[in-house]
Order: sequence, then structure tokens, then C-alpha cells
Amino acid sequence: MSTIDEPSLKVMLARAGLPHSPEQVRAILPGAEIVQRMVARVNAPLPREAEPALTFDVEQK
Amino acid sequence: MSILTIAEAAKQISAKKLSPVELAKTQLERIRRLDPELHAFLLVTEERALADAKAAEARQMSGSLRGPLDGIPIAHKDIYCTAGIRTTAHSRLLETNIPAEDAHTVKKWAEAGVVLLGKLATHEFAFGGPSFDLPWPPARNPWNIEHTTAGSSSGTGAAVAAGLILGGTGSDTGGSIRGPAALCGIAGIKPTYGLSSRRGILPLAFTLDHAGPMAWTAEDCALLLQAMAGHDPLDPASVNRTVPNFTADLGKSVKGLRIGVVRHFFETDNRASDATRKGIDAALDYFRKEGAEVRDITLSPLADYYAVGYLLMITEAFTLHGPWMRKHFHDYGELFRDRVAVAATVSGPDIVQATRRRRVLCQEMAAAMSDLDIIVSASQPGEAPKIADLPKWAEKPSFTMPFNVTGFPAISICTGFGEGGLPVSIQLAGKPFSEPMLFGAAHAYETAMPWRSERPAMAV
Repeated sequence: MSTIDEPSLKVMLARAGLPHSPEQVRAILPGAEIVQRMVARVNAPLPREAEPALTFDVEQK
Repeated sequence: MSILTIAEAAKQISAKKLSPVELAKTQLERIRRLDPELHAFLLVTEERALADAKAAEARQMSGSLRGPLDGIPIAHKDIYCTAGIRTTAHSRLLETNIPAEDAHTVKKWAEAGVVLLGKLATHEFAFGGPSFDLPWPPARNPWNIEHTTAGSSSGTGAAVAAGLILGGTGSDTGGSIRGPAALCGIAGIKPTYGLSSRRGILPLAFTLDHAGPMAWTAEDCALLLQAMAGHDPLDPASVNRTVPNFTADLGKSVKGLRIGVVRHFFETDNRASDATRKGIDAALDYFRKEGAEVRDITLSPLADYYAVGYLLMITEAFTLHGPWMRKHFHDYGELFRDRVAVAATVSGPDIVQATRRRRVLCQEMAAAMSDLDIIVSASQPGEAPKIADLPKWAEKPSFTMPFNVTGFPAISICTGFGEGGLPVSIQLAGKPFSEPMLFGAAHAYETAMPWRSERPAMAV
């Protein structure tokens, strides 16, 4: 299970160029924890053929 | 004057039994009386409305009505750009924004003869809300103004339910049409991805944004979508295909329709209220009695669909808003800025994984749909919660997101009322471009049930 703490969130917000006062980091942390659980879910193993391939519909005009 | 549906008003206007000007004046009076409590409108365009209505009335008198929307009072969610009319996205950042051009749908509806009553409340940029730190208050639910409308098409949901407008526009990135439709007890459809143009609508997430109508009935949504759908070469997602007659299946029997129920979505993955589940079961009993085939189906957990959709939504939103957020972070409302800022914690490989999983989920739903016409689920977990009780962060997976992830069309309609006296609902989804069938099934249910005859007490 992915986790995130205040120091790592602060680094991530700084890297994204967003304000990251201690209050701001604390305000965002609960949401970041939820999002990290979603990240863990989408990173569960996928079959090799699960590609975000570009496909075409031959009937498309 | 009683509150009319679009279909009813169109019939009376066509028969010269109803004056578009009188109808517009009635609606403006209702807005003056009810909106101070509802906050559905950010801007009322009275002068424009009366001019539109007079033009419609002139066409009525000369026998040159343009169709069923001519003279019909509507309003637009305030992320739909309106030429010369303030368009704010309910945000301080666009408080004085006056677009030069109409959104594609705004233009098409105007050409169909609608009467524009104004611009409607939304969650900030269709995501951050309900918020109390924006220049305008959030819309309230007309069934009980202490309760939320859901969002983000909050003003449209409230205004339709209260009879301030006969129909309006919404947008739906994760459920923003179907959520307010469900909690306000109206009908709202998220059409197939690419069916209706998003040009001129302030975007939230490129691959998930859909434009659609909201109205009291499914029939009215069909009439509104008819004047909305169609190829727009300036919207990269717009599909070039013949627009069907969306009212073609109204009045048709549901006999033979094959309905799959994703029961685990609303019984275990995110257990819906007793009233919601009873409403769904009663609707399924109706469809079964009328000759539809009903069976349970299993899909991936609802949380899988939600995780994919949510991660793509916030990262696409951050792609769009990042440049502004870096400069004007504190001009956004707290909910929007913090919810989108979380995207900074999502890596590039995470997005690729979400995109790969999206493809798997799309294939799964297409396979499930191969021998079905309709997939049934809940639209919302229950009745509208109190607006003061809403959490800033919500982890429970939404019932509407799967159809943004896959792009399949889905409509929310009312199935009655819960213990608190507020509406509950059902969601019907179909194959891509099967909107006429969805409208037909929804209309059959609505006309067989008593719910369309009940309006919020404040509205009658």
C-alpha cells in the first residue's frame, strides 16, 4: 500500500511549483493519502496486452 | 400557470395556446421569488430572455416555429461560454470574463429558438464545490434547501427541479450531470463521448468531459439533445456520424430489452441506501413485468473504475489549470485548488498505468454489453446529504464514473423518495450511440410511475 507523509508531499508540491506552506501541506495531505491508495490500485499487475494503444475505426469518416 | 415540461410547452406553443412571452415572464417571476433561497442562478439575463421570447412569439404568429425548443425557457451552466454575457465557472478568476463567442451548444440551442434566462451555478470549474469561499454561494436543493444538489451542474439541477427553467445544460466529467439529476429528482443524460461538442465549454479533463442536457423528464432531455448533438470539426473528440432521432423510441415497449444489473456496485462496493436499492428493484420489477430480460452481471470493482477516472481527472485538470494555479493559487476556492493540487503526487508511470487499466475496463464493459442493451446501477448512494455535512475529501467510489471512463451513455432518472423525503434514482447505461433506446426505456418507466407528478413543495 502506498503511503505519503508531510515531507514527501511538500517536495512534490514544490516540484509542481505550487505553494507549500505547512498549513497548505496539512490541508492537502488527507486527499493525497486517498489518491495514493488509488495509485496503488491502478498499479496492480496488468496483462501484457493491456496497452493504451492508438486504434482506428475503419468506418470512421 | 402550472410548471410545464418542454414537451407540454412545445405542444401548447405550436397550437398557439401558450405565449412564449408570457411563459418567459412567468419563469422570470418564479426566479425572482425562489432563487434568493436556491442560488441556482449566477446571472439572470432578463432583457435577453424577453427579446428571445418576443422573437419566438413572432415566429409562432407567422407559423414559422423552428421546432419543439422554440420559445422554451432554458439556462446554461456557467462554464458554457455565452457571447457578450459573463461566464465565470463560478470562480473568482473569471469574475469579469465576457466571452466573444458562444459555445457550440449555446449557438445551436439559440438557433433552435430557446429563450435564454441566464447562467447557472456550478461547482468551481466543474469540480470544486459546494464551496462557501467563492464570489457566489452554492446552489441549494429545492426539495430541502439545507441539502446539497450534488455537482457540478448544481444550478441546473436546482433550477429544473424548482421549475425556474424547463431545461438546461450540464457537463459531466465524473458524474456532474447525473449526480445533480439524481439528487434533485430530475432527468439528466451524459451522452456517448463525442456525440455532443464541448467547444466553448470551459474544460476540466479532456478525455472525460461530456456535454449533455438536464430536464424534468427523459423525453425533454431527448428534445434538448436533438439540438445539441452533431459533428463539430473544432472539437477533437467530436464524432462524425448521422445524428439519430432521439425521440424515435419514446412510446415503444421495453419488451425484449436485455438488462444487466451490476448489483455488486450498489450492494457491496458502495452500499446504497435502502430507498435507493428498493427503487432500483422496483424499476427492475417494472421492466421485467413489461417483458424485459433482467439478470445480474459482474464487472471489476467499482473502485477500479473510480481510481482510473479520478486519477485521470485530477491530472488532466492540473495540466489545464497548473499555469494559473502556480500564479493565482489563492484566487481559487479551497476545494478546487486542494483537490487539483493532489495531482502533484501522481507520477507519469502512474498515469500510464491508469490509461492501460482504462483500456482493460473499456474492453470489459464492451464485452459485458455485447449481449445486453442496458446496464443498471445506482446513480447516487442515497438522498441528498445536508450541504453542511459534506466532507472535503471523499473516498467512496462514485457510481457514475464508470461511464466517463468508458464513454458509454448513461441517464439518471428519479425512482421515488427516501425516508427524508428527498429523491432517489437509478442509472441506465447503454452501448455507445444507443441514446434513443435509453430515452425510450427511461420514458417508459417515467410514464408508468407517479414520480413526475411530484415537485418540491417550494415550487408549487
